[in-house]
Amino acid sequence: MKRRTGLRVAALVGVFALIAAACGGGDSAEDETYTIGVSNTLAGNGWREQMICAIKAQALASGVVDEVVLQNENTDTTGQIGQIESLISQGVDAIIINPTEREGLNSVIEEAISQGIVVVAVDQAVTAEGAYVATNDQVAYGELGARWLFDQLGGEGNVVEMRGIDGVPADTDRHAGFEAALADYPGITVSQETFTGWDPTTGGQQALDIISAGDVDGIWTSGIDYTVVEAFQSAGAEFVPIVGADNNGFIDQLLNVEGLTGAAVTNPPAIGGVGAAIAIQALTGEEPEQVVTLTPEVFASDDQASLEELFDPDQQVGWSTYVEIEPYTTYEASQVSDCVGPGEE
Amino acid sequence: MTAETAGRSTRFDWSTWLRRRGWTAGVWLLLLLMILWYSALIPKFGGFQIASISKNSLPLVYLAIGQAVIVIAGGIDLSVGAMLILSNSIAAQLMFEQPFGVTLAIAVLVILIGAVINGVVGWIITVSRVPDIVVTLATSFSLSGVALLVLPSPGGGTSEGFRAMFTGSTTGSGSNFWPSLVAIAIPMALAAWWMKNTRTGLSLYATGSSPTAAYLSGVRTARAKIVSYAVGGGFSALAGLSALAITGSGESRAATGSLFTLRSVAAIVLGGVALTGGIGSVVGAAAAGIILFTLSPILSAMGIDPNSAQVVQGVLIVVVMMVAGIIELRRQRAG
Repeated sequence: MKRRTGLRVAALVGVFALIAAACGGGDSAEDETYTIGVSNTLAGNGWREQMICAIKAQALASGVVDEVVLQNENTDTTGQIGQIESLISQGVDAIIINPTEREGLNSVIEEAISQGIVVVAVDQAVTAEGAYVATNDQVAYGELGARWLFDQLGGEGNVVEMRGIDGVPADTDRHAGFEAALADYPGITVSQETFTGWDPTTGGQQALDIISAGDVDGIWTSGIDYTVVEAFQSAGAEFVPIVGADNNGFIDQLLNVEGLTGAAVTNPPAIGGVGAAIAIQALTGEEPEQVVTLTPEVFASDDQASLEELFDPDQQVGWSTYVEIEPYTTYEASQVSDCVGPGEE
Repeated sequence: MTAETAGRSTRFDWSTWLRRRGWTAGVWLLLLLMILWYSALIPKFGGFQIASISKNSLPLVYLAIGQAVIVIAGGIDLSVGAMLILSNSIAAQLMFEQPFGVTLAIAVLVILIGAVINGVVGWIITVSRVPDIVVTLATSFSLSGVALLVLPSPGGGTSEGFRAMFTGSTTGSGSNFWPSLVAIAIPMALAAWWMKNTRTGLSLYATGSSPTAAYLSGVRTARAKIVSYAVGGGFSALAGLSALAITGSGESRAATGSLFTLRSVAAIVLGGVALTGGIGSVVGAAAAGIILFTLSPILSAMGIDPNSAQVVQGVLIVVVMMVAGIIELRRQRAG
């Protein structure tokens, strides 16, 4: 009996040891090169994956980064605090964060900064002191798209606002922009507000429900666009004007779907590359601006020439071809598609 | 088959100890090895790193303890994650800008709310005889719905003292690891002592082991089940409070809740609690909770995509279950 129970413990420990060994060890080399950590809480999302590819591409193009350490899994603020602390523990030189919350991460970010780590929040802002922030102007994103839509409707009608994730900084900002535009158009009524969770499938399903309910004159989306168009197609319903983002699939639809009017408002995932460029500038002693904001551009379906330029038939639907952002990114567009960071195959 | 309910010998017997506590000891040893290994992987291992692991593990540790109590009594609760979200939302809403004393009182209230709600769920299960998995799946939707009503979008807050109580720092992030270690140890020790040394606690083991045998020998099995759900609910609420202490504001996203529920089940399986009931301990489940958290930073430190951390977690559980099964089979053949 004694031997066998001992065996049981040994076996359990052995199993873990084996798995651990199979996973292999890490390596490190340090002379004038830097390690960049990335914390992302929405895994498997096309936009976020491209953001990470842009970070890797810029790190590789810079030539001074030897490793990009990823913390990339679906989680909440509690989990993101864990991610950032684990990056601090791993001794990275800079951390690029796509934050779940504007203020909830401040104390851990300030802790990182106090340990000499450069912190850059990309895509969405944080209010932590000393953190660099590189975002697309999300308020303008909401406002520009909404104004285009309301103008398109002649200032009259029912619109649906398909938002992202409640409480996330980008969503709050876009909603503020949307509301600002709405204030100037008394004839527009918001008949429904949904949260897509920035999930294309969820957005498509919600669009079907909206179409079935009827009485909608225009749809504003927080970037979940091509599945909304598909919902109209599969329901056989007449299109209403749709506002989306610079997703390749949506650009394709704006160019090629009969009867569809819409506008793509840019929200380039290449902001990750901008964040990486800022982090590297700060590490190498240049003094980047504390806050960088990109103003979105609006490409409507009547501007076929610009849309043609944005469209890449070889890319997947969720990809943005709007990847080169002057003067920050120094990579080639193909490096973003390759998605290979320093030291990777 | 509960060894614990059998008589105790006066002389210390190693083989009995190993048989009873072998798995639990193994899980803690494994945790120790993992942390040692992690410390070798990263450039510096000190108070900050220990605090980071212990405080960030808290929500999962409490959920694992709660789930263990319920499963040992023969149930399973798929709403522990939703209960975490609900208590997190209620507490964040009530504790906002309140002094430490008030937040402490609210914490007790929230734990009681969790215990009462889940006690009622346990009662419904025993009375209706609808399988646990169905009832708790249903309640998980209701609880996350209520959480959204309580806290429609992330916000609220708590006192600095309350944050320090769980995390060791008024800002939720720092190098003082003692409070979070104590926050793991005390509830775990209390639950373990209660399970193994009180009449009610032991009745949970008896009920989970064989409800019929327990009933025939005079154990009030329905009461045991209701109590197990109430205690589990209290621990789930505690998990929500610890999450609030870590972030400093509340969040009511249902997706987070279901992820936590799945991980609580993974933790108890890894911690040596048999899903068939009657076997295991909350001490093992607590260690497994910390292990599941620690896995992600370790894999990341090794340069492995954290997405595969979830694959590794899954493989780990399957392998552990198989090893346990094989050992049990061999023991039965030998015996």
